[in-house]
Amino acid sequence: MPRERTVVGSGVYPYRKPARISPLAIGAWTVTSALGPGRGAQLEALRARRSGLRPNDFTDAPLETWIGRVSGLEESPLPDEFGLWDCRNNRLAWLALQQDGFLDAVADARSRYGPSRIALLLGTSTSSIGATEEAYRQLTPDARFPEHLRQPIIHTAHSLGQFVQHALGLTGFCATVTTACSSSAKVFAQAERTIRCGIADAAVVGGVDTLCGSVLFGFNSLELIAREPCRPFDIERHGISIGEAGGFALVECDGRGPWLLGYGESSDAFHMSSPHPEGLGARIAIQDALSRSGLLPTDIGYINLHGTASVRNDEVEARVIADLFPATTRASSTKGWTGHALGAAGFLESAISLLAIADELVPGNLNATVLDPVCGPQICIDNTALATPTVLSQSFGFGGSNSVVAFGAERRM
Amino acid sequence: MTAPSAPTAFVEGISFWAPRLPGWKAAVEVLAHGGDPALGALRRPATDLLPSAERRRAPDSVALAIEVAAAACTASGLDPAQLASVFATTHADLAITDYLCEVLVRTPMLTSPTKFHNSVHNAAAGYWCIATGCHAPYMTVSVFDRSFCVGLLEAFMQVAADQRPVLYVAYDIESCGPLAPVAVSRGLLGAALVLAPTRSDRSLLQLAWAVRPGTNREATPAQPDNAGLVEGNAMAPCLPLFEALARGTGLVTLALGLQSVLDVRVQKPVVSAA
Amino acid sequence: MSSPQTPAELALAELIVAAVNLEDVRPADIDPEAPLFGDGLGLDSIDALEIALEISKRHSVQLRADDEENRRIFASLRALAAHVESQRPG
Repeated sequence: MPRERTVVGSGVYPYRKPARISPLAIGAWTVTSALGPGRGAQLEALRARRSGLRPNDFTDAPLETWIGRVSGLEESPLPDEFGLWDCRNNRLAWLALQQDGFLDAVADARSRYGPSRIALLLGTSTSSIGATEEAYRQLTPDARFPEHLRQPIIHTAHSLGQFVQHALGLTGFCATVTTACSSSAKVFAQAERTIRCGIADAAVVGGVDTLCGSVLFGFNSLELIAREPCRPFDIERHGISIGEAGGFALVECDGRGPWLLGYGESSDAFHMSSPHPEGLGARIAIQDALSRSGLLPTDIGYINLHGTASVRNDEVEARVIADLFPATTRASSTKGWTGHALGAAGFLESAISLLAIADELVPGNLNATVLDPVCGPQICIDNTALATPTVLSQSFGFGGSNSVVAFGAERRM
Repeated sequence: MTAPSAPTAFVEGISFWAPRLPGWKAAVEVLAHGGDPALGALRRPATDLLPSAERRRAPDSVALAIEVAAAACTASGLDPAQLASVFATTHADLAITDYLCEVLVRTPMLTSPTKFHNSVHNAAAGYWCIATGCHAPYMTVSVFDRSFCVGLLEAFMQVAADQRPVLYVAYDIESCGPLAPVAVSRGLLGAALVLAPTRSDRSLLQLAWAVRPGTNREATPAQPDNAGLVEGNAMAPCLPLFEALARGTGLVTLALGLQSVLDVRVQKPVVSAA
Repeated sequence: MSSPQTPAELALAELIVAAVNLEDVRPADIDPEAPLFGDGLGLDSIDALEIALEISKRHSVQLRADDEENRRIFASLRALAAHVESQRPG
């Protein structure tokens, strides 16, 4: 078998192989999803193969589908000092920040680097639009927002970045990234550039996206929603289950690891809501992530796939994996556990990839019973042990935005 | 700050679009020296660049962003298909947000699939890549009143980190419906730059940049007469930099974080000693 | 050109032109037997969803674009008009 395969054909794109980067340490990290708050809850559910999906109990109007809902947010308003930013999305951000000692880790980093030297880079798709929807439901007779929903900041995407900036006491470079479902994967790339350019010494990266009516009914209008729990890569898959999640990581130059080894980003240039038929954008992003990491496909133990369970995504993605990776690489989508967390999916699945490394666990494809024949030997239904602690996490979004992130247990200089 | 060692990007293309300043040619004299803009105001730019399916579906935000992106690339002479890009918008398409929230209250099962897929913040970037056949990555940021500055810094960093030219596009459109008093933005305003890592025959200006501690009180204000031309648009914070670009010189300070600012020194390209 | 549009086909053509913003197309000029998708009017899957939505609003006929009969139903203006007519309640 050839050691290196050609990912990008000549003549499609003036392809330039990116240079290797210096790996960055993931100093602390946490994640919260429908599986529960914190890393322990994710790991336990992954091991027990217990899905976090439940029948839709979120929308006012009926919609037959399953959702990955985080419990308890309705009863957990933000502390008074953060009342300006109170909304479902920021409540989930706050809940996530409380887990796994993350606030202490940031406090420690703040004292080491100074609050202006830690960048804050967060991905979201719809941010706090749920608050805007609520305001439309409660319009005053003269068609104005009700008084308690008139703060401009909760009706714009940066609601997330600005809230977390205040919650963590960070004063430097802060961005909310909004490239749909690749948003919170791209923040790892942005963090690497920011640190390499000397704009910050460390970065807090993350993603938070919450359930909201416009997205559930919007995906329904595109006929992309499954009425059953989603079944990624199954021959009988019927679409996606929407979920919500939040998580954060501290990225630094030095530490014990795990390590951010590289990343790749690309555009499909094909269609707003359908993937490129040959997965061209995905292939470029994979190749760039491998090049920046100094890795070959044979080095990869596990790939957390985008795997939305939409007919088109899974077909194209399975073909790309079968083409590019050896049979020894394991690959799966974990959306059968969590649902598709959209703007938070990139981070959620990066965190599951880090869990795979930490606990030597390859999660399978929950809810799949018979794989689509287009799947290669890489895509597995059952959980297995991770053989090689080097992993990729793939995120592809509307607007043809693709991002692939590489992590490893070892620094690989 | 802008010592000789400060990182520098070279401007190879500039564009600007507001209803009364439709294009850099129309804007440059007014922004540099004051004066009256052209009579009348255009509603929105044309979208000739887009393939037919995308043209039919392009909302105002996309038409605006594509217009300034294309004009900046044309001015630079560079092939858009080879440019990585950064898009900044405060609110993306406010008319679509208004539509989605309104239809959700009344008839959620009748949500328009076209409007929904246009609602993502990266719609303009996605359409741009489809229109130009560009597989290079794009970034989209939304940072409230810091959107222009953060997008510009992201573009500067990409130019410096990857040593390749980057297209930077900033835009916001008019707000409407019950959303208008809280997500404030009037009219259309778009601006774009093609930035390169090294000086070339195409270089129009050079921008030396640096991030330093500071507060938004230090931010450079726009000329009062000019501010009136784009008043109320959420992307109006781009104006001081485009005034300096129009003059061909100046030091512009933009508010970045809670206690940090971005300094940009605009000057004619200088031949390096090397 | 095939046989002329019926009044029902013309009404449906007007609905399609408005639903997917076909600026340069006059509803009366749509050949009722020409393909709506691909090379015909250049419509795609999103347009099919948008047209299905407008039809369901106007005629109380539910169409799903992922219907297995979709290819046949959306084959031409004539086929679509016939399907809408056959599905109309009452």
